[in-house]
Amino acid sequence: MTSSFRLLALTSIGACLLVAAMFAQRGAAPSNTPADTTTRIVSAAQAVLKTLDDAGRAKVQFPTDSAQKAHWSNLPGPMFQRNGLRLGDLTPPQRKAVMDLLSVALSRNGYQKVLEIMRGDEVLRTGGGGRGRGRGPGGGGGPAFGEDEYYLAFVGTPSTTAPWLLQFGGHHLAVNLTLAGSQATMAPSLPAAQPATYTFEGRTVRPLGNENDKAFALVNALDSTQRSQAVLNYRVADLVLGPGQDGRAIQPEGIRGSSLSAAQQTMLWDVVREWVGIMNDAFAEPRMAELRANLGNTYFAWSGPTTNGSAAYFRVQGPTLVIEYAPQSNVDHIHTIYRDPTNDYGAKFAKR
Amino acid sequence: MAALAGTTVSAHRRDEYLQAARLAVEPRRVEVQIELTPGIAIAEGIIGDLDRDRDGMLSRDEQQAYVDTMLDAVELRVDGRVLRLERVAYTFPGLDAVRGGEGTIRLRTAARLPRLSEGDHELAFRNRYRPDVSVYLANALVPDGDSIAITAQRRDAAQRDLTIAYVVRNQEGVTTSIWLVGGLGALLLATLVRRREDQREPAARLQAKSRRLAC
Repeated sequence: MTSSFRLLALTSIGACLLVAAMFAQRGAAPSNTPADTTTRIVSAAQAVLKTLDDAGRAKVQFPTDSAQKAHWSNLPGPMFQRNGLRLGDLTPPQRKAVMDLLSVALSRNGYQKVLEIMRGDEVLRTGGGGRGRGRGPGGGGGPAFGEDEYYLAFVGTPSTTAPWLLQFGGHHLAVNLTLAGSQATMAPSLPAAQPATYTFEGRTVRPLGNENDKAFALVNALDSTQRSQAVLNYRVADLVLGPGQDGRAIQPEGIRGSSLSAAQQTMLWDVVREWVGIMNDAFAEPRMAELRANLGNTYFAWSGPTTNGSAAYFRVQGPTLVIEYAPQSNVDHIHTIYRDPTNDYGAKFAKR
Repeated sequence: MAALAGTTVSAHRRDEYLQAARLAVEPRRVEVQIELTPGIAIAEGIIGDLDRDRDGMLSRDEQQAYVDTMLDAVELRVDGRVLRLERVAYTFPGLDAVRGGEGTIRLRTAARLPRLSEGDHELAFRNRYRPDVSVYLANALVPDGDSIAITAQRRDAAQRDLTIAYVVRNQEGVTTSIWLVGGLGALLLATLVRRREDQREPAARLQAKSRRLAC
């Protein structure tokens, strides 16, 4: 009787341990340390390269010191001629590999934002935008819109240790993700949108809707004294530090982060997170911690009406951060920029 | 299926001339960088101003004339004193790029500053070029080094006028102090070396005497 009981007990414990081990194995997410994330991004980049022939690899790969690094714009082709692999020229497996790479390199929200910006450009194409009707470079002389008109380039060889740049962009989009082992920066990058609101499969899509709504919520949470510091008395018609302004820093203006209440500070970081969080979470978290440490030297500035739905410009600027949000005359055409004047394209990583 | 409702399709600015100025304030110099980007709708008018002989090309003389006309409408003053802006460099896009609303004219100009005393100063920038069609941006860049600290920027609503309030810190004083400390350090070092040599001299003389006796 006793030995039967012991056998039963041991069997039960063993079964429990087995079930627990199975659950543990099923539930285990891939490690999300920065170094592991870089390794996964490099594997995905190498998977893209494997789908290409020599000509394709030559198109996508640029030397580390190449001028390609700074070759990006908000403009559509052929007004701005991009280099690299054009999505519209790829086979379905090649295109899938490129999109898989982006989904690994970016956060879930970041990847979604990129898809929505590209889809917005497709809306421009099918909605009759541009003389070229999205026929692609050389296809019609006018702007080429659409999801096919986005390009991938690697500046430097994808590596888990040495710095390299993953560059993806087209009309209203420039993602410049520099990776250096366990470190990464997405500065400078340009997420923009036109149309800023459209419908897709029956639902309303606003690629930069959170950025807009969170900033309006913040400016409306300021009291009159704070607002007098934050709201500039002049019109800002466009990005001050848009494409071509790498490494520049303008004198900050607006209200200091340290003059905000705790709740307002949280709202400020929520705004910032919309840009920083485009990167994979493994890189976004340490970057947010770095920015929070500079609260006292971080400024929030606003130009324009404060009623949501109006065209208003805003800027968040700190020692290592510039974010600008600039409607282009109306609320349906938005340009934004994300920069780190001290670390555009990972300048700090190269020094180290 | 995606749908677009009521969107005016344009890749960029249409009916405005964007004039973006950035000012870099240094102790003895101000650099003013100006970028001029005409929108598509006004591009032909700007091309008319640029290509004066209507040959479809921009000669060096035409470029220089355009820069000079533009700069004539720009005023720079420090503490009320007018400064003379000199051309440093400029680049012009092709006329097709201007026609497409994508061409940016880039100017680099600079003015020498008189020797300014330590303390508060004001630099006033005014841009009156083509106000009929223009929108303006004007910003001070963060100064290099510690000798200049910008304390405020004031603008009119259109950013045609920018006044930069700044403080000049006494660089000469700092430089003098560095020379003084350096000089004193060198003197001290020389004294120590001399003293050490003086101490070693009798021993060296004794050694030489010993060598002579041995011979």
